Amino acid sequence: MNLELRTLMQLIDEGLRANLPKFWAVAIECLSVGLALLAGYAVLAMLLIYVERKVCAWFQVRIGPNRVGPFGIFQTVADTLKMLLKEVIPINHVDRFLFYTAPFVVIAASMLTFAALPFAKGIQAIDFNIGVFYIMAISSISILGILLAGWSSNNKFSMIGAMRSGAQMISYELSVGLSLLAIVMLSGTMQLSTLVEQQADLWFIFQGHVPAFIAFVIYLIAGHAETNRGPFDLPEAESELTAGFHTEYSGIHFGFFYLAEYLNMFIIAGIAATVFLGGWQPLHIPGLDGFNYVMDFIPSFIWFLAKVFFLIFLSLWVRWTFPRLRIDQLLHLEWKYLMPLSLLNILIMAVLVVMGWHF
Amino acid sequence: MDLQEKIASLLPSATIEQAQYLTISVAKNDLRKAAETLRHQLGFDILWSLTGMDWGTALGVVYHLASSAKPGEIVVLKTQAEDRENPMLHTVCDLWATAELNEREVYAMFGIRFINNPDMRKLLLNENWVGFPLRKDYNADPELNPLNLHSDEVSDLRPKLVEQADGTVKEEWDEIFTNKEYIVNIGPQHPATHGVLHFRVSLDGEAIKKVDPHLGYIHRGIERMCESLTYPQMLHLTDRLDYLSAHMNRHAICMCVENALQLEIPERVKYIRTLMDELTRIASHLLAWSCMCMDMGGLTAFIYGMRDREKILSIFDDTCGGRLITNYNIIGGVMADIKPGFQKQVKEFIPYMRKMLKEHNAIYTGNVIAKNRMTGIGHMSRELSINQVVSGPSGRASGFSSDMRKHRPYGAYDKVKFNEIMRTEGDTFARYSARLEEISASLDIIEQLIDNIPEGQSLVKTKAVIRLPEGEYMEWVEAARGAFGVYICSKGEKTPYRVKFRSTGMPLVAVVDEISRDEKIADLIAIGGSLDYVVPDIDR
Amino acid sequence: MTFSSYIKSWGVGIKSLATGMSISMMNFWRKPVTECYPENRHTLQMSDRFRAVLTMPHNANNEHKCTACGICQLSCPNDTIQVISKTEAAEDGKTKKVLDRHVYKLGQCTFCNLCVMTCPSGAIVFSQDFEQSVYTRSKLTLQLNQPGSVLEKKQA
Repeated sequence: MNLELRTLMQLIDEGLRANLPKFWAVAIECLSVGLALLAGYAVLAMLLIYVERKVCAWFQVRIGPNRVGPFGIFQTVADTLKMLLKEVIPINHVDRFLFYTAPFVVIAASMLTFAALPFAKGIQAIDFNIGVFYIMAISSISILGILLAGWSSNNKFSMIGAMRSGAQMISYELSVGLSLLAIVMLSGTMQLSTLVEQQADLWFIFQGHVPAFIAFVIYLIAGHAETNRGPFDLPEAESELTAGFHTEYSGIHFGFFYLAEYLNMFIIAGIAATVFLGGWQPLHIPGLDGFNYVMDFIPSFIWFLAKVFFLIFLSLWVRWTFPRLRIDQLLHLEWKYLMPLSLLNILIMAVLVVMGWHF
Repeated sequence: MDLQEKIASLLPSATIEQAQYLTISVAKNDLRKAAETLRHQLGFDILWSLTGMDWGTALGVVYHLASSAKPGEIVVLKTQAEDRENPMLHTVCDLWATAELNEREVYAMFGIRFINNPDMRKLLLNENWVGFPLRKDYNADPELNPLNLHSDEVSDLRPKLVEQADGTVKEEWDEIFTNKEYIVNIGPQHPATHGVLHFRVSLDGEAIKKVDPHLGYIHRGIERMCESLTYPQMLHLTDRLDYLSAHMNRHAICMCVENALQLEIPERVKYIRTLMDELTRIASHLLAWSCMCMDMGGLTAFIYGMRDREKILSIFDDTCGGRLITNYNIIGGVMADIKPGFQKQVKEFIPYMRKMLKEHNAIYTGNVIAKNRMTGIGHMSRELSINQVVSGPSGRASGFSSDMRKHRPYGAYDKVKFNEIMRTEGDTFARYSARLEEISASLDIIEQLIDNIPEGQSLVKTKAVIRLPEGEYMEWVEAARGAFGVYICSKGEKTPYRVKFRSTGMPLVAVVDEISRDEKIADLIAIGGSLDYVVPDIDR
Repeated sequence: MTFSSYIKSWGVGIKSLATGMSISMMNFWRKPVTECYPENRHTLQMSDRFRAVLTMPHNANNEHKCTACGICQLSCPNDTIQVISKTEAAEDGKTKKVLDRHVYKLGQCTFCNLCVMTCPSGAIVFSQDFEQSVYTRSKLTLQLNQPGSVLEKKQA
């Protein structure tokens, strides 16, 4: 029995090509891939919001949502419907064009990054040979959206929030880039599909042992900071700036920011899983063939999602334990601690690769 | 030479009498001299309370003073402003900084203006309020002060009366904020102000340049309401001042009335009241801790604190029939005797709380983020805390020993051993840890008392109609946020002539400007959390 | 900052963060403390001293103990209670003041318990039924004596 999604995709592909001219087959495929990604995006966001609320509640010895449906599973569906039906309140004296563009910039940036993730064996919409580079470049566009939102809102809280976000994103981009660079050095490729294939026998975090592990931790911290979630939620800091950069947004525009926040969490975890934990590759330990054989039976998309959700749980655990950093602490953490460590780590990785000390 | 003779020799024109406290009455023109003598020569550096008065014929002010060496030994200074049309007195805010806000309140309520006070805006009321509500001849006609359906701009101008060299008084105006400043409103609707408090904050990037508190959003005129209520009726309002110190507030007012009536209170009642006070203190400090964590972004710690506070609230629920507004102390005792299970509940709570305190310290106090956000931030010197009379844990964190439980023992506090938690750093972290340490000190007090509650009555019968003998009375307790005092002036009627509650929160708000300058916005929130003001107590 | 204190700050920081995370993980496995209201309303035990709403207990013969003396009305600090009395001819020919309506405004009550404490006949008590929310304010004005009820006869 084959549970891989790729088999289903191939069936659809063959069916379409057999019955339609090539142009229409490709057009329909492109369209359905786009729709599938959009649907996946929305469903994942709803799922993540539910997961976050439940996990947060357990950390806080509460029950969490339990009213809509059994165990409250339809809570986020109801919330989404509410969000869609809510009025978008027009605000006076905003820069209308920028104000209404900002949420779309944010959501488009996270959507484009989302599309590049290899979800399972053969399931990847965009596979550039500079995949890592592409992800880095695209995901940093969302900061533009946040800056625009804060600037165009004509609200002092939003403005402060946006400025904080600017300082934060620019700083933490560095650590994100440097920690990914360590793995690029190890693998010698930037293409995400190749990266994943190279981890078939052993994940990069084990291949590169010490420096890879350090890079992994730095990536998790910096990536967590990139998503603007606690303890790095300074741009929205609800007890200081009420809601920071999205104070003035309502209805679906606010919904876009909200959705993007949760999906960015997924994306960061997804990249970490792909680059460090073998993506959709099952856990293989060289020498234990029986074990490896059993692991192969688990479908690849389950491997991917399991890794991603494990990382998301870590991120929630951190979020629901620590207080928020202050802006100077935030910059200290990056420039005095993470940055030097990342640079040092690259050096170690270089030595490791040159000397062939990795597995 | 005792104090009375000393004062008499220094202030020959003053009338000195021994009432509940040593009372010095001076004429309007001698006020400055008397105040300066008391402050500089006799060392009375604490202005506990500044009370406006309307004696019917004349308006005036009553000052309750003490020295920081003996904060419990109080001396009263009284003065009158003869003129009712345009009453003016000299300010004392250069001697005691806390007078600045208090004089503004007296101006709003009685219309007395203070010469040389740098800020003579009305506190608690709108600038355009008609009449002075605490004057006896105040016209409460709603036509005069109609309900405003639009919001008034907050003025950036403040008036002051400046005394000229030739003795005349000139009104001057100056600007609080210039129109080039970046002013952000923290409040009145803001998640971190714990109620409807309004700070106008001038910012330079993230740094704070100036804070201007704007008070009075929930001013209910409790002091005026008390003047038309009988003594037992008055009690229900005190729970609604600082609602987190409901027991202590009520303890103070009951004590004040009982002492005025010279009512002998059974030991059992004293023990029960003390126990309840300490439980309230723990509950209040837990809430303060939780909210401070939440303000700093640690929502999980907030829930843990609330979970533990819930245990105390259910003890209150069981014994008093209320959780927040407990309604337990009444004149002559407590409303209902403790239940047989009370001791067991409390004894179960003590070890639980000790264990949880350890967890709270582990998850938050030791946390590197929290620690760095609190240490060295919002430094309040001992001088400042005495000058502004910041009592309670916030003052004690700066080294100002002001614990009324030590300095004027009441209830059963003379029977227990406990340490006044003192720290010297005076920063946000010191205020934060002072609260956590006070929780364990309170647990120790409770542990000493809980098994030794003497048998006896829980309520002494009082007359059906309580009339206080003519005179002025003031009693003090240590509420969760500092020394809380109740001042009652009685003319022998069944209702008081004037009631004043010494707000524990107003000094806390008064220091915010000074201690948060040049810190960041996030620090302002943390400082606010560490000061732990409760707005209904300030606005009354 | 010296180099050694910099290295030390790494250690201190990581240790404190790990401690915090271990505490929250410990709480993760604890039983939730949430009160499941309204699921638990049948087992919910309110304290017998809890003050939810003022009531006037009636016995099986629809008799209450209120003599319409009006002390509760006098002692109420908030004008919550209004005792409306009427005069009735008693059996011995004299006229007697009896209770017509005992009006209680729940929306105004601060639950200070003064009325219950001062009542000379013990006619009113606070009940523990806390579910008192209504949609219109007028429904908060309650009449405590039941229709047709009379003063309880003193036991001879």
